[in-house]
Amino acid sequence: MRFWLQRLAAGLLLLLAVSMLTFGAMNLLGDPLFNILGPIAGDTENPTSVALIEAAEAEYNLDKPLPVRYAIWLGNFVTGDFGVQFSRDGAPPVRDLIEERLPRTLTLVVMAQLMATLIAIPWALWSASKADRAVDKASTVVTFLFVAIPSFALAVIMKWLFTLKWPIFPQTYNTSDPFWDRVWQTFLPALTIAIPAGAVYQRLLRTDLITTLQEDFILTARSKGVSKRNVLLKHALRPSLFSFVTIFGITTGALIGGALVVEQIFRIPGLGSAIVEAILREDFPVVLAIVMIITIGFVVLNILVDIVYTFIDPRVREA
Amino acid sequence: MSDSTSSPIDDTIADIPLASPLEGIAGAVTGHVPEGEFEGASKRRLGFGFWLAVSWLVTIVLAAILAPYLPLEDPMENIIVPSEGTPPYSPSSTFWFGSDQDARDMFSRTIWGARTSLTVGAAAILFGMLVGGSLGMIGGYFRGTSDKVISFCFLILLSFPALVLAILITALMDRSLLTISLTLGILGVAPVGRVSRANTIAFADREFVTAARSLGARNTRIIFRELLPNVVIPMSALALLGMAVAIVAEGGLAFLGLSVETGVTWGILIQIGAGRSELEAAPWIAMAPITVLFLTVLSLNFAGDRLRAFFDVKEAAL
Amino acid sequence: MTEFTDHDDHTLAPSRTHPEEPLLVLDDVRTHFKTERGLVRAVDGVSLSIQRGECIGIVGESGSGKTVLSRTIMGLLPSTAVLSGSVDFGGTEILGLPDKQMRHLWGAEMSMIFQNPLNSLNPLMKIGKQITEPLKLHLGMDKRSARETAAQLLRDVHIPEPERRLDQYPHELSGGMRQRVMIAIALACGPTLLFADEPTTALDVTVQAQILEVIAEQRRERNMSVVLVTHDLGVVAGHTDQIAVMYGGKLVERAPTRVLFADMKMPYTKSLMRSIPDLAAPSHTTLATIPGRPPDLVNPPVGCNFAPRCAYARDRCHREEPPLVTAGHAEHQFACWYPVGSPEYEERDAELDAARAVPVAVGGDD
Repeated sequence: MRFWLQRLAAGLLLLLAVSMLTFGAMNLLGDPLFNILGPIAGDTENPTSVALIEAAEAEYNLDKPLPVRYAIWLGNFVTGDFGVQFSRDGAPPVRDLIEERLPRTLTLVVMAQLMATLIAIPWALWSASKADRAVDKASTVVTFLFVAIPSFALAVIMKWLFTLKWPIFPQTYNTSDPFWDRVWQTFLPALTIAIPAGAVYQRLLRTDLITTLQEDFILTARSKGVSKRNVLLKHALRPSLFSFVTIFGITTGALIGGALVVEQIFRIPGLGSAIVEAILREDFPVVLAIVMIITIGFVVLNILVDIVYTFIDPRVREA
Repeated sequence: MSDSTSSPIDDTIADIPLASPLEGIAGAVTGHVPEGEFEGASKRRLGFGFWLAVSWLVTIVLAAILAPYLPLEDPMENIIVPSEGTPPYSPSSTFWFGSDQDARDMFSRTIWGARTSLTVGAAAILFGMLVGGSLGMIGGYFRGTSDKVISFCFLILLSFPALVLAILITALMDRSLLTISLTLGILGVAPVGRVSRANTIAFADREFVTAARSLGARNTRIIFRELLPNVVIPMSALALLGMAVAIVAEGGLAFLGLSVETGVTWGILIQIGAGRSELEAAPWIAMAPITVLFLTVLSLNFAGDRLRAFFDVKEAAL
Repeated sequence: MTEFTDHDDHTLAPSRTHPEEPLLVLDDVRTHFKTERGLVRAVDGVSLSIQRGECIGIVGESGSGKTVLSRTIMGLLPSTAVLSGSVDFGGTEILGLPDKQMRHLWGAEMSMIFQNPLNSLNPLMKIGKQITEPLKLHLGMDKRSARETAAQLLRDVHIPEPERRLDQYPHELSGGMRQRVMIAIALACGPTLLFADEPTTALDVTVQAQILEVIAEQRRERNMSVVLVTHDLGVVAGHTDQIAVMYGGKLVERAPTRVLFADMKMPYTKSLMRSIPDLAAPSHTTLATIPGRPPDLVNPPVGCNFAPRCAYARDRCHREEPPLVTAGHAEHQFACWYPVGSPEYEERDAELDAARAVPVAVGGDD
């Protein structure tokens, strides 16, 4: 029990630290007033402007010291109030923007991870069974290539090959299309992210499988007459999953970065493009909200990974 | 390494080196790094592939350094060749890599792009190693509070998806070559720091350090004479891998319009060529820089990988 | 002996043989491994035979080839192994058969228990599942009958609360219990041949006897043959019908157990005997050991393998390899130029006695 509480506490501490840093960075390095009002913000001569400035300052608490502003923001955030978007009058509150965009990015990342796993596990099993033979060496070269290629480069290549040269996949993402159409439109972008991730997973799994296959209990399984296929699937696979599970959790964070770029290239209006636009506009509430959401996801994922660990390895449950 | 209160992730994050973005995390996490793919690459020798990668890197670096002196077209100049119709021109004897929509020579642009990209990559990892390496060594050597603080900072840095952090910084500051390099360097501080810290801890426990201390050596002397050579040299592999990551990260930034403002980098070139119409009409605009970028990143990755395997063996022999 | 068809209706099994015919016959079996350094002659010409229900002890130091021999008979070797000779199991030649065919025997007709039960059991799989696996595979049992059989097997090996154990994991059991589980797994489908590879080495002394008893008990009840591989002569003393001593990949002495202990011929066997610690000896007695190291299996010495370490060796031992000859008793074979009891042996023995300042307390024939 104590273990979980400690993890939770560490996670919360992290979230606080991240939020403080981001908040501080944006407010100190940027100019909130300018973002809200535009060029008027510097115009202290004109009384109308001054009135607008003062009104804005009051509304957005800009007259208060930084720590107080942070506290106000934090208080609002934990109750679900993410504030309003800065630089657009009449724009929906940040909360709505997030609700609209988050599912798209989530779908993308979830699909990508799913594909990566589906690619990696059978491939790893196959190459472990053929370890060090010619086909396996060839396969290792292939995975190395896929791991090394930058995601945006791969995205451009995929876009060119599969939507233009051989138009298998749709070229655009339409937010107004029905659900399954949109899923199909997300397929290629997800695949783009999934391929390098899947290659990483495959290489890791293969190494672990090969190591596991040297263990004594594998010999026992063989001596019972278990077929090679079942030795791999039923005996060798599960003990080899630990590193994979660890990595799975960590790379989801890295994948979000990949998702940003992919969303740009395939023009999917998700969280990624939202944060990019927001940063360029210096729209603080949006940036803060999205950063927090991503970090929360990161913390939650780490905890989930720990939970999965206890399922895979009964020995850990005792600890 | 692991105590009952830390999760497997905490322990494993401690060893994240930079490698091809995800692999580095994976590889270090578990210590299982798929190595030495090619025939003849044993752990004792660096192998044929290593030298192949190095020769490519040397070529591209030389080309980048010597760009102003090579007989290249001006990368910014529009070279209309009426006999070949309207731009973009496909690859030919006049334009080795073809030209883009504005009739600029892609071959020249790619080489000039190498100049900036490689500079950014090198500067970034240099910064990362300097700052990250030092912090890691300090934390790993002195332990105690300073270590806890430094480690926590690393953790925060690691929790940000790297690209978001980079975007944040570049959006708030200017976009000069220096800033971009420093920003990418900051991305490298935490991963490098963790490796440096782990290596320092491992070495500080060894006998020759205790011996030095018992002879009355002061801490600074120990750090510089004993630890530095042993911690840093194995991190040369990390330097290569880190450079690859930095170059790729710059590419990502370019795609979001946040890269260097003047001049060209590979990322910017690819971004220019990645629009739908460009890809349809003239894929080489993007493909040429993509190929060169890919080969460079591949070589850096491979060479770094081989170096890491090479040093692992020597350390094991200790 | 019943003819046996497994789940897939393959009849690769000991065909009906007369109960007096041997179950297993080895003829000049050699197992060599191709390595970077050269050809490792792990097993270099071993011949023996085992009857149904008989227990043979294969004794030797590490590196003597005893484990490789048992794996060779089973067929559980890596593909780098070069095999020659003949292994006849119930009338069928099984040396060199592909895995696909051997799998019908493995677990069904012949099975193995290994040295370290902690590592030899799948740590992430429940005990019950590990036992029912061969039952379902070879005997085609359904889930319920397999589970019942598994519980009965655990009872057979004297594990208390068998039902509960079925749902436990290996790390929840003690070392002795784990080894019993391994035995239960090995016995699940009623094999005619059981290999026990150093079954007690990793266990406490007190538990060792229990485990050997369990094996012996099951052997009697099932009329099963057992190959007991160990470095410990003490272990084989009480439980075997015949003993084969191996050194450097070769068979150096073989006899029915009583005959062997009464009349050891090979000096090496004698040394093994002497190196068993004697509980009755006074404290701080120096343990007798055999000086030197096992032979290099890539470049074995010319002549007798043991000659470099043998206190009784003479010129001929270093030049010519002694052949396997039969002693007084028809079943007693040994390979030595100057065996125990020969004039040369006695002569050397007297010289050594004089040199020994302090009498070393040993078990044996003095």
